[in-house]
Amino acid sequence: MAGIFVFSEDHALAGQLLTPALELKKSLAQPVIALALCEQDAKALAALGADKVVVLQSSGKWVEGFAEAVYSQVKAAEASIVLVGGTLRGKHVASYVAAKLNAGMTTDAKALRIEGGKLLATRVLYAGLAVCEEEVTLPAVATIRARTFLAPEAAATAGVIETVNAEPDARVTVDEVTSTSSEGIDITAATKLVAVGRGFRKKEDLKLAENLGGVLKAELACTRGVAEDDHWLPIERYIGISGQTVKPELYLAVGLSGQVQHMVGCRESKVIVAVNNDERSPIFEAADYGIVGDLYEVLPLLTAALGK
Amino acid sequence: MPKCLVCYKWTLDEQDIKIKPEDLSLDSSRAKGKISDFDRNAIEEAALLVEKNGGAVDALTYGTPTVKLSLKDALSRGPEKAYWIADASADAADGCVTANVLAAAIRKLGQYDVILCGEGSSDLFNQQTAPRLAALLGLPCLSFVNKLSVEGDVVKATRKLEDCMETVTVKGPVVISVLSEINKPRIPSLKQVLGASKKPNEEIKIADLGLKPEDLQPKAVRKSVKGFVMQRKNVIYKESSAADNVAKLKSSLVSEGLC
Amino acid sequence: MNFELTEEQQLIGQSAREFGKQHLEPIAVELDHTGTFPKAVVNGLAKHDFLGLLLPAEVGGAEAGFVSYVEVIENLSRYSAAVASIVNNHTIAAYTIQNWGTAEQKKQYLPGMAKGEILGGFAIYEHGPTPGVGANALVAVKQDVGYVLNGKKAFVRNAGEANVYVVFATTDPAAGAKALTAFIVKADAIGIKIGEKLETMGLKGCPVADITFENVVIPENALLGAINEGGAISAKALAVASVAEAAQTVGIGQAAVEHAAAYAKQRVQFGKPVATLQAIQTLLAEVATDCHLARLGMQNAAVLIEEGKPFEVEAAMIKSFLVRLGSKMLLDTCQVEGGFGYSEFMPLPRMFRDIAGTNLLDAPGDFPEKLIAASIA
Repeated sequence: MAGIFVFSEDHALAGQLLTPALELKKSLAQPVIALALCEQDAKALAALGADKVVVLQSSGKWVEGFAEAVYSQVKAAEASIVLVGGTLRGKHVASYVAAKLNAGMTTDAKALRIEGGKLLATRVLYAGLAVCEEEVTLPAVATIRARTFLAPEAAATAGVIETVNAEPDARVTVDEVTSTSSEGIDITAATKLVAVGRGFRKKEDLKLAENLGGVLKAELACTRGVAEDDHWLPIERYIGISGQTVKPELYLAVGLSGQVQHMVGCRESKVIVAVNNDERSPIFEAADYGIVGDLYEVLPLLTAALGK
Repeated sequence: MPKCLVCYKWTLDEQDIKIKPEDLSLDSSRAKGKISDFDRNAIEEAALLVEKNGGAVDALTYGTPTVKLSLKDALSRGPEKAYWIADASADAADGCVTANVLAAAIRKLGQYDVILCGEGSSDLFNQQTAPRLAALLGLPCLSFVNKLSVEGDVVKATRKLEDCMETVTVKGPVVISVLSEINKPRIPSLKQVLGASKKPNEEIKIADLGLKPEDLQPKAVRKSVKGFVMQRKNVIYKESSAADNVAKLKSSLVSEGLC
Repeated sequence: MNFELTEEQQLIGQSAREFGKQHLEPIAVELDHTGTFPKAVVNGLAKHDFLGLLLPAEVGGAEAGFVSYVEVIENLSRYSAAVASIVNNHTIAAYTIQNWGTAEQKKQYLPGMAKGEILGGFAIYEHGPTPGVGANALVAVKQDVGYVLNGKKAFVRNAGEANVYVVFATTDPAAGAKALTAFIVKADAIGIKIGEKLETMGLKGCPVADITFENVVIPENALLGAINEGGAISAKALAVASVAEAAQTVGIGQAAVEHAAAYAKQRVQFGKPVATLQAIQTLLAEVATDCHLARLGMQNAAVLIEEGKPFEVEAAMIKSFLVRLGSKMLLDTCQVEGGFGYSEFMPLPRMFRDIAGTNLLDAPGDFPEKLIAASIA
């Protein structure tokens, strides 16, 4: 078996996957092979240290349709590891590949290493309640979410690039793709976040949080209800088990109770601060610092104090 | 009139699982079983499809012997018949084993037009079953669907991905995984609950599936499970004066180098 | 001896709990504040077959059995005891018609009651010394066209919202209670005056009012059961109702102890969660124990009802137990929550007021202890 494969349709994420891949290379002494969907991405990945990059060229553009091609490459190389970017599309592709390989797959690995000839991955269980170590026999497939790792520095020598043809999946017709990301904000990149929950009574009141975010130079984030039920903020700002995961320096949670489904998305923040009028809220257990008080009173005072 | 199959998992209710403070291990002794949350949406979606288009829904589940407790629950939510595979292997089954078992069972049961799954199970959330099943059965897979319709043998779905909504069409049999937002599972009425005992269920023995021993060997094994406990400073300011609290918080933030 | 609910009973309880969580929890506080009859919720209950739970399949009921019924009532009461009361009042009226009605009466009312299209009410109490006695007792006088009712009924549950009432009147004022007779009276009968809605301490949203009957003419076939059988009918019906009300008390108690326990785990005083303090542990333990034993006693009586066996003594026992210890469950849990147990923005004060009501309601016999003592001595 030879090959640590890396694939993501998200080129930034693909670059990040090279970091754990290159680390695994040290243990396995196998080449790192990246799969890309276009020449441009391939060049970037080659420059970051992939030994080889294979461009999968196809007339079809549906990412999931490349699953068979990914599998062919992996099978031909007799890969031992396949790292796939943990986007929803990536998980679809990874699962397909794992099934064809009759291989084990670990989803959303937070850390990876080789131990005793197997892949050892750390991941979350029971909606965030627990953390476990999963041991996967090789060949192993793993998905890794964005920003779990940082992309490596540029490599001394760039890898080779080759191109192969991939058959599209003719069974599925893509009728329409409508972009939903507004504004193009990426809260996962923010170093400071002010997160709002349903303690805010109306949409206009979010201004208080925006003002605080202004003096702190923090981006705005929110709980699921604020985005999906109330539609006060776009879905990209929703942090939680089925939303974004963030690791900022400061996470300031205002008017949110701190339930596990939300906290699993931000609990690796360096410092967590909470403002809530209910002393019994779980958020205080998860906070480094907090104020028990009415956010309508506290936020203006805090904004004024920090603005000086 | 699509013939639908919905696959569901009988899981432990994660809300009942406690973390033992001594060693952070998990205590699930008091955890009750439930049909995995996202699978409820899959069952509901199948029921809605059948209400709209006619046809019937079968349910299929693979679990430890406790899985028998799930049958009436599942049958009260729309399916006409429940197939079940009860085997100790389910306890350690990973995505690979689960898909092998379900695929073998589906091959035995015959042709289905639509095979529905939840996007992932509420306990382990591996999010692998649907695409794995599709790969093993040689069928197309539409994952992360939040809107579904069937017209004759044409399946139209809207998939909700991180940055876009994608509408896709597939002709012929297909495997689908659904998001929780696709529908709101009905609360079974009492008549539906009582009617469930009159609906048939059939056991499929794992030995009759023609699987090799290695197909039942998990490739991903959970080695250590520990409760996640937040270790935070928990410095909470609750003076009666909001201004005092704010002043204290400010100095804390300054000392952390955050402002 | 099996203490476990059957699968069906468990699933029915689960459905009720899901319904409570989805439909009752969001409105419980507002219902308590406004006392406005929750029509939409009652319609939802009907759709899920909760209003026809005990009725036979041939009239469109779920025919689920009394144990399933108390499972439903307990689970609904965890979220809103007021709504559970509405269901109870309706169900006891339907139960009475089911057990003593003629084939025509059952055909006329039960299908509608099973579907929730006809809501039932129960009018037994009066302001006088005992139903059938006193100046304002409800009197039914036989006439050619049927009966004429005159008098006043007190504390009628579901008053004003019910479409049909099971009403108890004396057909002979001289005989008083001995001549108590049951009738089915449609709410739109001429001469029925629903009094002002009573402002009760708790269970707000379940309407209670006096009803005055002024020359209300009801047909011959409104007679429910036999003449003078009203005493026996009401005794049985109230005994059954009291077990259902015990289920309400247990549901409220369960919700209260869970809330207080969750609170105690979070509330930190003297450097640790108060749940670790012995005084709090004692309070929580006593409440949990009383609730658990009350549930077992209530379920025991329910099983006897379902199996058609004598149950009045067991019903009296659980009633007696809860009259003594029902409110204590809320006194103690409020104590656990300290100031929050006294603040109306928290659920316990509402539950405190509700549980006082569920213990006050119907009883088997004149008072339960008399019945119990008579059974042993």
